[in-house]
Amino acid sequence: MKTESIHRTSMWKFKLSAATMTLIPAAVGINYVAKALAEGLKLPVWLGSLGTFLASMLAGPVAGAISGFINNVIYGLTLSPISTVYAITSIGIGIAVGILHAKGWFSSAKRVFVSAIIIAIVSAVISTPLNVIFWGGQTGIAWGDSLFAVMVANHAPVWLASFTDEFVLDILDKVCVAYLAFFIYRQLPQRMIRFFRDDK
Amino acid sequence: MDEDKRITLDNLSVRYRGAEDAQLKNVSATASIGQIVGIIGNSHTGKSTLCRVLAGVIPNIISAEITGSCEVLGHSPVHEWPNFNSLTGVVLQNPAGQLSGLADTVADEMAFDLINQGISEDVINKRVANVAAQMGLTDQLVQTPESLSGGQMQRLAIATAIVTQPTILIMDDPTSEMDPLGRQQFFHWLANVQSTTVFIVSSEIDDLSEIADRIWVMDDGQLVEQGTPQAVFNYLDADRQIPKPTAYQLAAGMNWHLSNGALPVTPSELKEAYDGKN
Amino acid sequence: MTDQSMLSGNPAGKSRWFNAIDPISKLLLILDMALLSFASTNLLLEAGLITGGLLLLLFSKVSSTTVKALGFSLFLIFTMLVIQGLFYSKNQTVWFSIIGINFYKEGLIYATTLGSRVLVIILASGFFMVTTSISENAKYLEQSGLSYKTVYVLMSVCYILPEIMGNMRKIQQAQRVRGVNPQKTVIQKLKSVLPVLIPLVIKTLDQSMTRSISLQLRGFDNPNRKALKSTNRYRLVSGLHIGLTFAAIILIGWKLWTKISGLL
Repeated sequence: MKTESIHRTSMWKFKLSAATMTLIPAAVGINYVAKALAEGLKLPVWLGSLGTFLASMLAGPVAGAISGFINNVIYGLTLSPISTVYAITSIGIGIAVGILHAKGWFSSAKRVFVSAIIIAIVSAVISTPLNVIFWGGQTGIAWGDSLFAVMVANHAPVWLASFTDEFVLDILDKVCVAYLAFFIYRQLPQRMIRFFRDDK
Repeated sequence: MDEDKRITLDNLSVRYRGAEDAQLKNVSATASIGQIVGIIGNSHTGKSTLCRVLAGVIPNIISAEITGSCEVLGHSPVHEWPNFNSLTGVVLQNPAGQLSGLADTVADEMAFDLINQGISEDVINKRVANVAAQMGLTDQLVQTPESLSGGQMQRLAIATAIVTQPTILIMDDPTSEMDPLGRQQFFHWLANVQSTTVFIVSSEIDDLSEIADRIWVMDDGQLVEQGTPQAVFNYLDADRQIPKPTAYQLAAGMNWHLSNGALPVTPSELKEAYDGKN
Repeated sequence: MTDQSMLSGNPAGKSRWFNAIDPISKLLLILDMALLSFASTNLLLEAGLITGGLLLLLFSKVSSTTVKALGFSLFLIFTMLVIQGLFYSKNQTVWFSIIGINFYKEGLIYATTLGSRVLVIILASGFFMVTTSISENAKYLEQSGLSYKTVYVLMSVCYILPEIMGNMRKIQQAQRVRGVNPQKTVIQKLKSVLPVLIPLVIKTLDQSMTRSISLQLRGFDNPNRKALKSTNRYRLVSGLHIGLTFAAIILIGWKLWTKISGLL
């Protein structure tokens, strides 16, 4: 029996099935607790996209994108208003993870590293204009912002300084999250993977 | 007996997709309308899988290879879902997972199935109050579901299953998190349930012996014994390692037999055997 | 999000002025205030919008969440003032000096404008947050014609999060009993996350499997489903929706027009 050739034809096929409908809120919840855990341990990363990664890996890019979008909207309307606009970034992350996973770029530890870098680039490219519009280019993380300040002081263009600021933070975060997701996904029971993949 | 008054499993086998072994192997069993069927056996012997087939979850929600047939009161849970689903109330193993995940209060949670059916608000309120009283949750109606204890959560899960007044009730270990008093109340309630066919997985052998009309014994995916509690426990192979009812153990030790020669399995039978002896 | 009071919202019976405004109107109000703030660089207008937002909050209620969000942004705005005041690319006019370091007028004004916009969004959203309960949103959205599925996907996380947090605490306690040492380095800390996250994720996903099965057994997609009426009585719903949407269109149009005419 062939096992790992699933998504190839149906990656973009999306139906809001009962399985996906309960997976998405769970993914948003996982994002929230992972972020809370990282903050509690004072880790230099956010981890707040772990659930989005897992949703994309389990149910495809569209489910991941919806998880990411809802994550930021709910977070924005209950805790931190500005995070709503970064919903666009989360959508990008969800889509990128979904495509990379479907194309087999989450199949080995080496490949995961490449995926993490691609996802970090996607995230930083989308976030940079938002950072410039809302925060003059800053990210709000002290050491990233110090880098930003040094670059602006040396007359680097704001776009470049802001992208660098965001990218160094993103690369660290996305590498951590990608490996966490890779590791956790491998521990999931087959019946669960099959259930959310929804191939009846 | 008519087809629509019988439960017939005929050579039923189930294997989950991707699994090596079958979870159910050639299960054949019968029961009839209005009976309480107690399903017993050690863990991982196929009890939950059997419940899932009876409820139509397999193969309609969880995919699996299924052979043989399963007919419940003239309906096939395999082929007539979701029509069959409207006749059943189901309590799954994990009580917290059964809550809708979008209800503010215990009352809203109980009303969910009725709102789905488009029933009018007056009727909903009456039925919710009635079911809450039956399950001893009247004081908790305005609380949030997640504030409930494990046992209360299970009673809420049962309430959501019976609020639609199902003709078939399927419960997978519904008392696992209840305290002894709650469990006693539950079995007392179950004994008085009218005009409902009940399938219940439980390890409460004493309670099942008292209330069940039939006992099905599962072992390694096979149905190895079926009959009245008295018949099943008197003829059950000791190798099965399934505990016997307290009354049976006591009577076996004292050598108190019923007039038909069997050992008693309930307290009242025990008394009968004792009285017969003296 | 774990705050229980957000679920239950206002205690029944006691209805205040903001309970008469429907959630969608409140969201449109956030949009309008944000658009107005972004359409202008006039600091007086920004000050007016901030005052408006503050008044809305003061006449409804002030919650710790809003104060926290404000505190974090104020700190960020402060660093923005420093960085832009010193290094903004269009800096020309020295406004003042502190121990020999020059702060420039252009950068400070730029940072103040951006900071004001952030404050406007936070205050307007804060008004929405403190006056609208999650259950009110869920019921209203379904009544407004969204399918139960959509409402579920949007809102369910608010209901299941307390349960996930509860599971996390249980797992953490179990880890502590097992005597996991406090971690020092980043790698050690990251590794210490795994024994909590893996069981938590599996448990959460398992729970959503059961929930998905249960929802189907309980007939959530029955076409006969009729949502119950919300207890809140809203006023002027369609008037507010039309007015606020119209205002949003005008503001976007105006912004686009000034951009285009700037290019010509």
